[in-house]
Amino acid sequence: MIDALRYEVVRLQTIRSTYWLVGIAVTFQLIMSVILAAVISSSTSFGGDGAFDVIATIGASSGFAPLFIAYIIGLLGVFSTGHEYRHGMIRATLTAIPNRTHVFVAKIVSTVVVSAVAALLCVLIALLSILAFGLDLPTGSALGEMALGTTIFTTLFSLSGLAFAAITRNQTAAVALLLLVPTVLESIIRAIVIAIKSASDDPQSDGGIVQILKYLPYDAGGKLYTRASLDDLLSFLGYTPFGPVGGGIVMGVFVAALLAIAYALFLKRDA
Amino acid sequence: MALIEARGLGKSYGQTRAVNDLSFTVRPGSVTGFLGPNGSGKSTTMRLMLGLDRGEGVTTFDGVRFDELEHPMRHVGALLEAKPFHPTRHARNHLRMLAASNDIPTSRVDAVMALVGLETVTRGKPGKFSLGMGQRLGIACALLGDPHTLILDEPSNGLDPQGIQWLRTLLKHLAGEGRSVFVSSHLLQEMGVLADELVVIGRGRMLANGPVKDFIQHSTIGAVEVRTPDGALLQPALAALGAQVTTDGGLLTVRGATAEQIGDAAHAAGARLHQLVTRQATLEQAFLEATGLSEEFRGGQA
Repeated sequence: MIDALRYEVVRLQTIRSTYWLVGIAVTFQLIMSVILAAVISSSTSFGGDGAFDVIATIGASSGFAPLFIAYIIGLLGVFSTGHEYRHGMIRATLTAIPNRTHVFVAKIVSTVVVSAVAALLCVLIALLSILAFGLDLPTGSALGEMALGTTIFTTLFSLSGLAFAAITRNQTAAVALLLLVPTVLESIIRAIVIAIKSASDDPQSDGGIVQILKYLPYDAGGKLYTRASLDDLLSFLGYTPFGPVGGGIVMGVFVAALLAIAYALFLKRDA
Repeated sequence: MALIEARGLGKSYGQTRAVNDLSFTVRPGSVTGFLGPNGSGKSTTMRLMLGLDRGEGVTTFDGVRFDELEHPMRHVGALLEAKPFHPTRHARNHLRMLAASNDIPTSRVDAVMALVGLETVTRGKPGKFSLGMGQRLGIACALLGDPHTLILDEPSNGLDPQGIQWLRTLLKHLAGEGRSVFVSSHLLQEMGVLADELVVIGRGRMLANGPVKDFIQHSTIGAVEVRTPDGALLQPALAALGAQVTTDGGLLTVRGATAEQIGDAAHAAGARLHQLVTRQATLEQAFLEATGLSEEFRGGQA
């Protein structure tokens, strides 16, 4: 196993996309954190934990935007397995490390570590921006929950990218899935479900088909870092989303299932 | 030094049987050529040997399966396809990555870069390499762990004549050190010079396996040319030997008998011989004869 991890470490160290993607995520976080902190510091009505949440997630905590760094760091997960197939590397990799389980687990471990470190770095940048502009520091629990939430979401997001690439064995398709499933597919499902519920005899009743929305994996996972959500507007349709823990579990189970499928196919298929 | 033993290798793609019950042995200290027409299953066989493709059969290296080898690159070096590299990862870094997984020191990376003549492009990006440079880097990967066994799929692809000569010398040298070298190539002339033994397949089936010399000698294209003024005396004697004879004036072309047998038969029959020449088939002729009906993809007449 240690051999596969060594391979992954050198793989990540010796490829430009590692530095580009982490650099883009951190630079974006830095620029936007500074801008948001500057704006909020001049505001008399906004501050406290809410300000930190907004800066740490660059507005995603409001539920009106996706967590940008997850989409950038998620590409590292896609490239982790996508490069193997796009550039014919997989055979070279498996002649160096024939144990496919070791290869797969090492890719998961490296993706988790890089994604988590990058996400925590972005939270740290948000914290430093708050300090730099003299804003109120978040409470310990708010800081912990946000750091944990963004880190877990980003990591799960990256792992789903890894799984998409391993399942499709096509890097372009995996990138498309990673971008489209959370933003387009889940939105379409939400719209259809809302339409059906609205057209029902008792649209404001609790439960029913809207319960499906609780299990949209990326939307549910978003509860890890959102403090308000567009989903709250759907409460009149009897929809009550999961909280951070429940949402995290839904996304975790979804990603685990994707990884299980990817692993089974990886073991079974020709390299 | 490893003995490669492949037993019952098989692979199907849907209804197509790509490799069918192939068994052969590659001995240490020899270069074994792997020949077959396009689409005959050579590359698939090599991937099956290394467990890269899922199929039937087992291949062992001194009794151990590839996936059971600790640090496999130190035992078996493989080149399976052209340019399996990330296009922007420096050549040396590609080797470093592989070396890291097999506990191979970085000094060995530099040594193989020099061995394959790429020491001036260690920071070169494989995406900008020519096919020949890519092959050299692939060969460097195969040699990285100083393995006792080499499995090379068309390693001379893209190499210039000097590169082919270099590769031939290198592989001969490595085999001379007692290593097992299993190499496929479509360059039959090159294989005739390089290989000691052959595994010849067609449509995934074994057609021939053994020393190159035997393969050529067994070809029916090989013949003995006999020039004699006493054809009427000699022909019945040759027929008694079971040889097939075609005549063209005073020239007899004899298949199925050696020059020695023909000479003895002529002496016994009292036939004078003015010429007795063995015309051996080339490897190419023998190969084409052996694989004639086993060609997967056949071009039309121009």
